Amino acid sequence: MSSQDLERYGRPGGSTHPAQLADVLERVLDKGIVIAGDIQVNLLDIELLTVKLRLLIASADKAKEMGIDWWEGDAFLSRGDGQGRLEERLRRLEEAAGIEEASRRSDK
Amino acid sequence: MSSSAGAPAGARNGSGWYLYGVVAADAPAQLDAGISVDPAHGVELLAEGPLAALASKVSLEEFDEEHLRERLNDPAWLERNIRAHEQVLERVLASASVVPFRFCTVYRSEAELRRFLSQRGSDLAGVLRRVDGKVELGVKAFVDRERFAAGLGTRSEEARELEARAAGAEGGRAYLEGRRFDQLVAKELERFAAQVVEASHAHLLAAAEEGTLGPLRSPEVSGRSDEMLLNGAYLVRAGGGELEEAVAALARRYAEQGVSFEVTGPWPPYNFVPREVGAA
Repeated sequence: MSSQDLERYGRPGGSTHPAQLADVLERVLDKGIVIAGDIQVNLLDIELLTVKLRLLIASADKAKEMGIDWWEGDAFLSRGDGQGRLEERLRRLEEAAGIEEASRRSDK
Repeated sequence: MSSSAGAPAGARNGSGWYLYGVVAADAPAQLDAGISVDPAHGVELLAEGPLAALASKVSLEEFDEEHLRERLNDPAWLERNIRAHEQVLERVLASASVVPFRFCTVYRSEAELRRFLSQRGSDLAGVLRRVDGKVELGVKAFVDRERFAAGLGTRSEEARELEARAAGAEGGRAYLEGRRFDQLVAKELERFAAQVVEASHAHLLAAAEEGTLGPLRSPEVSGRSDEMLLNGAYLVRAGGGELEEAVAALARRYAEQGVSFEVTGPWPPYNFVPREVGAA
Protein backbone atom coordinates (compact mmCIF):
# COMPACT_ATOMS: atom_id res chain seq x y z
CA MET A 1 0.00 0.00 0.00
CA SER A 2 2.85 2.40 0.57
CA SER A 3 6.58 2.56 0.86
CA GLN A 4 8.00 1.45 4.14
CA ASP A 5 9.44 4.84 4.86
CA LEU A 6 6.36 6.90 4.35
CA GLU A 7 2.94 5.68 5.26
CA ARG A 8 -0.24 7.53 4.75
CA TYR A 9 -3.48 7.05 6.59
CA GLY A 10 -6.87 8.55 6.80
CA ARG A 11 -7.33 10.17 3.42
CA PRO A 12 -10.91 11.25 3.10
CA GLY A 13 -12.75 10.64 -0.12
CA GLY A 14 -12.32 7.01 -1.08
CA SER A 15 -10.03 6.36 1.85
CA THR A 16 -9.02 2.79 2.42
CA HIS A 17 -7.85 3.47 5.96
CA PRO A 18 -10.22 5.22 8.29
CA ALA A 19 -8.32 7.77 10.35
CA GLN A 20 -7.03 6.43 13.63
CA LEU A 21 -9.36 7.28 16.47
CA ALA A 22 -6.52 8.78 18.50
CA ASP A 23 -5.79 11.26 15.69
CA VAL A 24 -9.43 12.22 15.45
CA LEU A 25 -9.85 12.55 19.23
CA GLU A 26 -6.78 14.69 19.49
CA ARG A 27 -8.29 17.17 17.06
CA VAL A 28 -12.04 17.02 17.52
CA LEU A 29 -11.94 17.02 21.33
CA ASP A 30 -8.98 19.25 21.88
CA LYS A 31 -8.78 21.66 18.94
CA GLY A 32 -11.24 23.62 16.89
CA ILE A 33 -13.05 26.75 17.94
CA VAL A 34 -14.94 26.94 21.18
CA ILE A 35 -17.35 29.71 21.93
CA ALA A 36 -15.76 32.18 24.28
CA GLY A 37 -16.82 34.37 27.12
CA ASP A 38 -19.54 32.71 29.14
CA ILE A 39 -20.55 35.87 30.87
CA GLN A 40 -20.68 37.96 27.78
CA VAL A 41 -22.61 35.24 26.04
CA ASN A 42 -25.09 35.18 28.88
CA LEU A 43 -25.43 38.92 28.86
CA LEU A 44 -26.15 38.81 25.18
CA ASP A 45 -28.66 36.15 25.93
CA ILE A 46 -27.20 33.73 23.46
CA GLU A 47 -28.18 30.42 24.83
CA LEU A 48 -25.35 28.10 24.09
CA LEU A 49 -25.12 24.67 25.45
CA THR A 50 -21.55 24.79 24.27
CA VAL A 51 -20.45 27.11 27.00
CA LYS A 52 -21.15 24.50 29.59
CA LEU A 53 -20.35 21.53 27.43
CA ARG A 54 -16.85 22.67 26.78
CA LEU A 55 -16.22 22.55 30.50
CA LEU A 56 -16.94 18.87 30.28
CA ILE A 57 -14.83 18.09 27.30
CA ALA A 58 -12.44 20.96 26.93
CA SER A 59 -9.68 18.48 26.23
CA ALA A 60 -8.83 14.85 26.57
CA ASP A 61 -6.97 15.65 29.80
CA LYS A 62 -9.93 17.59 31.06
CA ALA A 63 -12.17 14.69 30.14
CA LYS A 64 -9.96 12.48 32.26
CA GLU A 65 -10.25 14.83 35.20
CA MET A 66 -13.99 14.67 34.78
CA GLY A 67 -13.85 10.91 34.97
CA ILE A 68 -14.31 10.31 31.28
CA ASP A 69 -11.56 7.81 31.04
CA TRP A 70 -12.83 4.74 29.30
CA TRP A 71 -9.72 4.52 27.15
CA GLU A 72 -7.60 4.08 30.28
CA GLY A 73 -9.38 0.85 31.05
CA ASP A 74 -9.16 -0.41 27.52
CA ALA A 75 -6.63 -3.18 27.35
CA PHE A 76 -5.68 -2.18 23.85
CA LEU A 77 -4.98 1.41 24.77
CA SER A 78 -3.45 1.11 28.17
CA ARG A 79 -0.79 -0.94 29.76
CA GLY A 80 -2.47 -3.92 31.34
CA ASP A 81 -1.89 -4.84 34.95
CA GLY A 82 -0.19 -8.03 34.00
CA GLN A 83 2.55 -6.27 32.12
CA GLY A 84 3.01 -3.71 34.87
CA ARG A 85 3.57 -6.44 37.44
CA LEU A 86 5.97 -8.24 35.17
CA GLU A 87 8.04 -5.10 34.77
CA GLU A 88 8.09 -4.56 38.48
CA ARG A 89 9.38 -8.08 39.07
CA LEU A 90 12.02 -7.62 36.42
CA ARG A 91 13.13 -4.38 37.99
CA ARG A 92 13.54 -6.05 41.39
CA LEU A 93 15.46 -8.93 39.88
CA GLU A 94 17.78 -6.49 38.16
CA GLU A 95 18.32 -4.62 41.37
CA ALA A 96 19.25 -7.81 43.09
CA ALA A 97 21.68 -8.61 40.26
CA GLY A 98 23.41 -5.26 40.71
CA ILE A 99 22.33 -3.74 37.43
CA GLU A 100 21.94 -0.33 39.02
CA GLU A 101 25.54 -0.47 40.14
CA ALA A 102 26.58 -1.47 36.65
CA SER A 103 24.76 1.45 35.14
CA ARG A 104 26.30 3.92 37.57
CA ARG A 105 29.75 2.67 36.68
CA SER A 106 29.08 3.01 32.98
CA ASP A 107 27.98 6.62 33.47
CA LYS A 108 31.41 7.60 34.76
CA MET B 1 -41.24 9.42 23.11
CA SER B 2 -41.17 13.06 24.10
CA SER B 3 -41.23 12.54 27.86
CA SER B 4 -38.57 10.13 28.93
CA ALA B 5 -38.93 8.82 32.44
CA GLY B 6 -36.68 10.47 34.97
CA ALA B 7 -35.92 13.48 32.82
CA PRO B 8 -35.05 16.37 35.10
CA ALA B 9 -37.64 19.03 35.57
CA GLY B 10 -37.13 21.73 32.98
CA ALA B 11 -35.54 19.39 30.46
CA ARG B 12 -36.41 20.99 27.19
CA ASN B 13 -37.58 18.54 24.68
CA GLY B 14 -37.32 19.24 21.01
CA SER B 15 -34.33 20.01 18.94
CA GLY B 16 -31.23 22.13 18.94
CA TRP B 17 -28.59 22.83 16.33
CA TYR B 18 -25.21 21.14 16.29
CA LEU B 19 -22.51 23.30 14.69
CA TYR B 20 -19.69 21.46 12.87
CA GLY B 21 -17.96 24.34 11.19
CA VAL B 22 -18.26 27.55 9.23
CA VAL B 23 -17.66 28.09 5.51
CA ALA B 24 -18.02 31.05 3.15
CA ALA B 25 -21.66 31.36 2.07
CA ASP B 26 -20.64 31.29 -1.58
CA ALA B 27 -18.29 28.29 -1.21
CA PRO B 28 -19.24 25.26 -3.29
CA ALA B 29 -19.55 23.15 -0.14
CA GLN B 30 -20.71 19.63 -0.82
CA LEU B 31 -22.67 17.83 1.83
CA ASP B 32 -23.14 14.14 2.34
CA ALA B 33 -26.74 13.40 3.20
CA GLY B 34 -25.83 10.20 4.99
CA ILE B 35 -23.60 11.52 7.77
CA SER B 36 -24.51 13.55 10.85
CA VAL B 37 -24.40 13.20 14.62
CA ASP B 38 -28.14 12.58 14.78
CA PRO B 39 -29.23 10.11 12.10
CA ALA B 40 -32.70 11.64 12.07
CA HIS B 41 -31.40 14.95 10.69
CA GLY B 42 -29.02 15.65 7.82
CA VAL B 43 -26.42 18.41 7.66
CA GLU B 44 -27.59 21.74 6.29
CA LEU B 45 -25.93 24.99 5.25
CA LEU B 46 -27.41 27.93 7.12
CA ALA B 47 -26.27 31.09 5.37
CA GLU B 48 -26.07 34.30 7.35
CA GLY B 49 -24.48 37.17 5.48
CA PRO B 50 -21.13 36.15 3.94
CA LEU B 51 -20.85 33.05 6.13
CA ALA B 52 -22.69 29.77 6.36
CA ALA B 53 -22.90 27.32 9.24
CA LEU B 54 -22.55 23.61 8.66
CA ALA B 55 -25.08 22.38 11.13
CA SER B 56 -27.64 19.70 11.74
CA LYS B 57 -30.61 19.43 14.04
CA VAL B 58 -30.10 17.29 17.11
CA SER B 59 -32.46 15.98 19.69
CA LEU B 60 -31.94 17.89 22.91
CA GLU B 61 -32.89 14.76 24.76
CA GLU B 62 -29.64 13.34 23.54
CA PHE B 63 -27.49 16.45 23.38
CA ASP B 64 -28.75 18.28 26.40
CA GLU B 65 -26.15 18.83 29.06
CA GLU B 66 -27.78 16.42 31.50
CA HIS B 67 -27.75 13.56 29.09
CA LEU B 68 -24.57 14.36 27.31
CA ARG B 69 -22.46 13.61 30.33
CA GLU B 70 -23.74 10.07 30.36
CA ARG B 71 -23.25 9.76 26.63
CA LEU B 72 -19.66 10.89 26.85
CA ASN B 73 -18.95 7.91 29.05
CA ASP B 74 -20.29 5.60 26.42
CA PRO B 75 -17.30 4.90 24.19
CA ALA B 76 -19.40 3.61 21.32
CA TRP B 77 -21.54 6.75 21.33
CA LEU B 78 -18.51 8.99 21.63
CA GLU B 79 -16.61 7.32 18.82
CA ARG B 80 -19.58 7.26 16.48
CA ASN B 81 -20.28 10.95 16.97
CA ILE B 82 -16.70 12.11 16.98
CA ARG B 83 -16.24 10.32 13.68
CA ALA B 84 -19.47 11.80 12.33
CA HIS B 85 -18.28 15.28 13.30
CA GLU B 86 -14.98 14.66 11.55
CA GLN B 87 -16.53 13.11 8.44
CA VAL B 88 -18.97 15.96 7.92
CA LEU B 89 -16.04 18.38 7.91
CA GLU B 90 -13.83 16.17 5.74
CA ARG B 91 -16.54 15.85 3.17
CA VAL B 92 -16.84 19.62 2.93
CA LEU B 93 -13.09 20.09 3.00
CA ALA B 94 -12.83 18.31 -0.35
CA SER B 95 -14.60 21.24 -2.02
CA ALA B 96 -14.35 24.25 0.32
CA SER B 97 -12.26 25.83 3.07
CA VAL B 98 -13.71 25.27 6.50
CA VAL B 99 -13.32 26.62 10.03
CA PRO B 100 -13.77 23.63 12.34
CA PHE B 101 -15.57 23.90 15.66
CA ARG B 102 -15.03 21.66 18.60
CA PHE B 103 -17.06 18.56 19.29
CA CYS B 104 -20.53 19.19 20.72
CA THR B 105 -21.09 22.85 19.94
CA VAL B 106 -24.84 22.95 20.34
CA TYR B 107 -27.30 25.83 20.09
CA ARG B 108 -30.80 25.67 21.42
CA SER B 109 -32.35 27.26 18.37
CA GLU B 110 -31.65 28.28 14.82
CA ALA B 111 -32.14 31.92 15.82
CA GLU B 112 -29.32 31.64 18.42
CA LEU B 113 -27.02 30.07 15.88
CA ARG B 114 -27.76 32.78 13.34
CA ARG B 115 -27.22 35.45 15.93
CA PHE B 116 -23.81 33.98 16.73
CA LEU B 117 -22.88 34.02 13.03
CA SER B 118 -23.86 37.63 12.51
CA GLN B 119 -22.37 38.93 15.77
CA ARG B 120 -19.08 37.11 15.35
CA GLY B 121 -19.05 37.41 11.58
CA SER B 122 -15.93 39.53 11.31
CA ASP B 123 -13.90 37.31 13.67
CA LEU B 124 -15.00 34.21 11.80
CA ALA B 125 -14.29 35.78 8.42
CA GLY B 126 -10.77 36.55 9.65
CA VAL B 127 -10.21 32.94 10.64
CA LEU B 128 -11.63 31.79 7.33
CA ARG B 129 -9.16 34.00 5.44
CA ARG B 130 -6.28 32.46 7.38
CA VAL B 131 -7.22 28.93 6.31
CA ASP B 132 -8.55 29.78 2.85
CA GLY B 133 -7.40 27.21 0.31
CA LYS B 134 -5.49 25.33 2.99
CA VAL B 135 -5.72 22.07 4.85
CA GLU B 136 -3.94 20.52 7.82
CA LEU B 137 -1.64 17.54 7.47
CA GLY B 138 -0.42 15.51 10.40
CA VAL B 139 3.16 14.24 10.36
CA LYS B 140 4.43 11.72 12.84
CA ALA B 141 7.85 10.18 13.14
CA PHE B 142 8.54 6.88 14.87
CA VAL B 143 11.73 5.07 15.68
CA ASP B 144 12.24 1.33 15.74
CA ARG B 145 14.46 0.91 18.78
CA GLU B 146 15.97 -2.34 17.60
CA ARG B 147 16.94 -0.96 14.24
CA PHE B 148 18.35 2.12 15.91
CA ALA B 149 20.38 -0.06 18.28
CA ALA B 150 21.65 -2.24 15.44
CA GLY B 151 22.79 0.86 13.56
CA LEU B 152 24.45 2.24 16.65
CA GLY B 153 26.94 -0.61 16.61
CA THR B 154 28.27 0.55 13.26
CA ARG B 155 28.53 4.19 14.34
CA SER B 156 29.91 4.18 17.85
CA GLU B 157 33.06 2.57 19.19
CA GLU B 158 31.60 2.34 22.69
CA ALA B 159 28.47 0.64 21.42
CA ARG B 160 30.47 -1.86 19.41
CA GLU B 161 32.55 -2.76 22.45
CA LEU B 162 29.56 -3.18 24.73
CA GLU B 163 27.72 -5.21 22.16
CA ALA B 164 30.70 -7.52 21.65
CA ARG B 165 31.09 -7.99 25.38
CA ALA B 166 27.43 -8.87 25.72
CA ALA B 167 27.70 -11.35 22.89
CA GLY B 168 30.81 -12.97 24.38
CA ALA B 169 29.46 -13.31 27.91
CA GLU B 170 27.37 -16.11 29.31
CA GLY B 171 24.48 -16.47 31.73
CA GLY B 172 23.91 -13.67 34.22
CA ARG B 173 27.00 -11.89 32.96
CA ALA B 174 25.52 -11.75 29.44
CA TYR B 175 22.33 -10.34 30.89
CA LEU B 176 24.20 -7.61 32.74
CA GLU B 177 26.26 -6.65 29.73
CA GLY B 178 23.12 -6.67 27.63
CA ARG B 179 21.46 -4.26 30.01
CA ARG B 180 24.44 -1.93 29.90
CA PHE B 181 24.19 -1.91 26.15
CA ASP B 182 20.46 -1.12 26.44
CA GLN B 183 21.27 1.81 28.68
CA LEU B 184 23.72 3.18 26.17
CA VAL B 185 21.10 2.81 23.45
CA ALA B 186 18.59 4.74 25.57
CA LYS B 187 21.05 7.58 26.11
CA GLU B 188 21.99 7.78 22.45
CA LEU B 189 18.37 7.55 21.36
CA GLU B 190 17.38 10.47 23.54
CA ARG B 191 20.06 12.63 21.97
CA PHE B 192 19.13 11.47 18.50
CA ALA B 193 15.41 12.09 19.06
CA ALA B 194 15.97 15.72 20.01
CA GLN B 195 18.04 16.17 16.88
CA VAL B 196 15.44 14.54 14.62
CA VAL B 197 12.62 16.66 16.03
CA GLU B 198 14.47 19.92 15.60
CA ALA B 199 15.72 19.21 12.10
CA SER B 200 12.47 17.66 10.88
CA HIS B 201 10.21 20.40 12.19
CA ALA B 202 12.38 23.08 10.56
CA HIS B 203 12.44 21.16 7.29
CA LEU B 204 8.67 20.67 7.31
CA LEU B 205 7.95 24.29 8.24
CA ALA B 206 9.84 25.35 5.13
CA ALA B 207 7.32 23.39 3.06
CA ALA B 208 4.24 24.67 4.95
CA GLU B 209 2.48 27.91 5.80
CA GLU B 210 2.46 27.20 9.50
CA GLY B 211 3.23 24.32 11.80
CA THR B 212 2.91 23.23 15.39
CA LEU B 213 4.16 20.34 17.52
CA GLY B 214 1.77 18.35 19.64
CA PRO B 215 2.30 15.95 22.53
CA LEU B 216 3.91 12.59 21.84
CA ARG B 217 1.61 9.61 22.19
CA SER B 218 2.39 6.30 23.80
CA PRO B 219 2.41 3.14 21.67
CA GLU B 220 -0.90 2.17 23.27
CA VAL B 221 -2.55 5.26 21.86
CA SER B 222 -0.67 5.54 18.59
CA GLY B 223 -1.31 1.89 17.81
CA ARG B 224 2.31 1.41 16.79
CA SER B 225 4.94 -0.45 18.72
CA ASP B 226 7.61 2.03 17.66
CA GLU B 227 8.34 5.01 19.83
CA MET B 228 6.89 8.31 18.66
CA LEU B 229 9.49 11.01 18.13
CA LEU B 230 7.43 13.76 16.54
CA ASN B 231 3.75 14.64 16.36
CA GLY B 232 3.37 17.69 14.17
CA ALA B 233 0.52 19.45 12.38
CA TYR B 234 1.14 21.63 9.34
CA LEU B 235 -1.07 24.04 7.47
CA VAL B 236 -0.48 23.61 3.73
CA ARG B 237 -2.00 24.61 0.42
CA ALA B 238 -4.63 22.01 -0.48
CA GLY B 239 -3.27 19.59 -3.04
CA GLY B 240 0.18 21.21 -3.01
CA GLY B 241 2.29 18.13 -2.40
CA GLU B 242 5.33 20.03 -1.05
CA LEU B 243 4.95 18.74 2.47
CA GLU B 244 4.72 15.14 1.30
CA GLU B 245 7.96 15.63 -0.62
CA ALA B 246 9.61 17.10 2.44
CA VAL B 247 8.48 14.11 4.51
CA ALA B 248 9.78 11.68 1.91
CA ALA B 249 13.17 13.42 2.01
CA LEU B 250 13.27 13.14 5.80
CA ALA B 251 12.26 9.49 5.60
CA ARG B 252 15.22 8.82 3.31
CA ARG B 253 17.57 10.81 5.52
CA TYR B 254 16.71 8.88 8.67
CA ALA B 255 15.77 5.44 7.34
CA GLU B 256 19.07 3.88 8.36
CA GLN B 257 18.57 4.90 11.97
CA GLY B 258 15.23 3.11 12.07
CA VAL B 259 13.01 6.18 11.72
CA SER B 260 9.79 6.07 9.73
CA PHE B 261 7.27 8.81 9.01
CA GLU B 262 3.52 8.80 8.76
CA VAL B 263 1.34 11.44 7.15
CA THR B 264 -2.34 11.82 8.04
CA GLY B 265 -5.01 14.01 6.52
CA PRO B 266 -5.95 16.22 4.86
CA TRP B 267 -7.68 17.37 8.03
CA PRO B 268 -9.81 20.43 8.62
CA PRO B 269 -7.35 22.99 10.06
CA TYR B 270 -8.14 22.20 13.70
CA ASN B 271 -4.70 23.23 14.87
CA PHE B 272 -4.78 26.56 13.04
CA VAL B 273 -7.94 28.18 14.25
CA PRO B 274 -8.00 30.15 17.49
CA ARG B 275 -9.24 28.35 20.54
CA GLU B 276 -11.96 30.89 20.98
CA VAL B 277 -13.81 33.48 19.01
CA GLY B 278 -15.72 36.31 20.54
CA ALA B 279 -13.67 36.63 23.71
CA ALA B 280 -14.62 39.78 25.57
